[in-house]
Amino acid sequence: MSKTRILTLAFFLGPATALVVFFFVFPLILTIYISFTDMRNWNVERYANDIVGLKNYEALVHLSRYDPKFESAVITTIVFVTVTLFINVVGGLTLAILTYFLEERVSLSFRLLWLLPRMTPVAVYSLLWYYFFHSSNIGTLNRIFMSLGIIEEPIAWGSYNLPLGTWAILIFVNGLVGVSFGMIIFYSAIRSIPWEYIAAARVDGAGNLTLIRSIILPQLRWHIMFVTVWQMLSLLTTYAHIFLLYEWGTIDRIWGQTWSLLVFTTAFGDIKRQGLAAAAATVLVVIGIVLGLIALRLLGFQRMMTIPRGEI
Amino acid sequence: MAGPAGEVLAATVSRRLKIVIALALLTASTPILLTYGLLIISSFSENMVTDPLLRDLSPTLSNWITFLQGRLTYAPEGLERNVVEMVVVTLVVALGVAFTATLVSLLAAYSISRMNFRGRRVFTASLILLHAFPGVALIIGVYMVFLSVGKALGLLGNEFYALTYVILARAALEVPMATWLFKGFFDKIPWEIEWSALVDGASRVTVWRKILVPMVKPGIAAVLIFTFLAGWEEFIYFYVFLAPLGIDSLPTFIEEIVGAAEYYQLTIVAAAGTFYLLPTIIFFVFTQKLLLEAYSGGLKG
Repeated sequence: MSKTRILTLAFFLGPATALVVFFFVFPLILTIYISFTDMRNWNVERYANDIVGLKNYEALVHLSRYDPKFESAVITTIVFVTVTLFINVVGGLTLAILTYFLEERVSLSFRLLWLLPRMTPVAVYSLLWYYFFHSSNIGTLNRIFMSLGIIEEPIAWGSYNLPLGTWAILIFVNGLVGVSFGMIIFYSAIRSIPWEYIAAARVDGAGNLTLIRSIILPQLRWHIMFVTVWQMLSLLTTYAHIFLLYEWGTIDRIWGQTWSLLVFTTAFGDIKRQGLAAAAATVLVVIGIVLGLIALRLLGFQRMMTIPRGEI
Repeated sequence: MAGPAGEVLAATVSRRLKIVIALALLTASTPILLTYGLLIISSFSENMVTDPLLRDLSPTLSNWITFLQGRLTYAPEGLERNVVEMVVVTLVVALGVAFTATLVSLLAAYSISRMNFRGRRVFTASLILLHAFPGVALIIGVYMVFLSVGKALGLLGNEFYALTYVILARAALEVPMATWLFKGFFDKIPWEIEWSALVDGASRVTVWRKILVPMVKPGIAAVLIFTFLAGWEEFIYFYVFLAPLGIDSLPTFIEEIVGAAEYYQLTIVAAAGTFYLLPTIIFFVFTQKLLLEAYSGGLKG
């Protein structure tokens, strides 16, 4: 490569590479390294060289079996990810297909409305559900149920019938954000189905259900797989909304913790055991890389990366 | 995206079915409409409005006046906070994230769309992986880098350092997605347009600046809005890096007052929340299509 070419590439790629190295690669290596140390209280000088080998990982396995908080976090994560994932994929698919049957103006309003939770500031979005599920009669849900005569006293939903109440809130609040991802991907995929397919089916007298079953759904196979993998990854690692609801007492302190929230509270909460938190985070990293690679394959990466015509 | 197929299909669906579908969607949307609506209405009421029929509404503007004066209770001697500082800090971070991520991605996307270099495929593949990367796994390391660099430079506890760090660290999270979006925009521009300029001896940088950047203006607008909203909606970075230094922002302010809700007037919190929601709603109303297209474009590639 000539010198100008190297300089040109540095100009274009330098800033992005610097940000990626500094804020992705470094922190990642550090996290894995810290997981082998006894780091606590952010005391870098004291613990940075205190290598303890696999102790944190062993502690993690032990805690997952015997510590109620870790034990419930594993169960909560499995239930939360499975159920929310199902709701997100099926819900996103339903929204995409239903809005496809409507006139553009109406369809656009609905799709925008469902995008709103995703774009809302995390603190405000959590605030909405703090009010909605509030344990006193200022909670909207309590108010509605009481005026319908279903319940007589306000219910603390977060601790109702534990762990079911807390799980229901977790799934509902995150499902409402997650469903828009599938909706958008599926909708734009349906829109790119050649019109001739649909017209031909219509001429043959296909009803709406036949149209969905034999034209639309088969075309979405890959998209469904991609959305499933991608959403699984983001559900496994989401924690900002959950953290606020946890802080404000809307969800239960034990049953409301998912694995990723546990990573955050162990590192930044009262315990401040960064070595242990880093080990828990590394587990997520491994899962993340595997799911990410699968998603990449599903995206048909090879096809998208044809050599650019931009070279003389 | 807005192909004719959808419109034509809608024309073949019976009116009755369309009304049924619209009603079903409206019913499914009730929780969204209800929660957002009640938050906004409560900010204009003396007590929290929780009744969907609004029977408990007693209109007032005092929540907004009290909040904008930086007070958390109606009582004049109550706790006061600097609302201007909170808004400025949140805005600075959001704008910083938007401009940094947009510029950096605009540069990187050009080279992966137009230049063939070794490592191009790996670089592009890692963008997707990075975008999917668990933020919670990074935050420990990112905080450790923050501590170590701050210590080495003697800047720990410095507010300017913390703000700059938050902007760069948060912008970095948006770079993979934004680069991917811009790559899509660049890929659509016919190569012939810049070819003659390159043959005439113009440099890549000139071609990028004078020919290509002006051609992706809609893309730049979309990415700027998108990354601005990403910075604006952030909570964790404000909470971890700025709040411990006493730097107030809208998200940590809400976190804090709801956590101590029994001492405060909840309707004032509703005013704060509605205020914080305003930019999101404004962008929603005025740039709807741009937002939806940015979303689908970014993941289609």
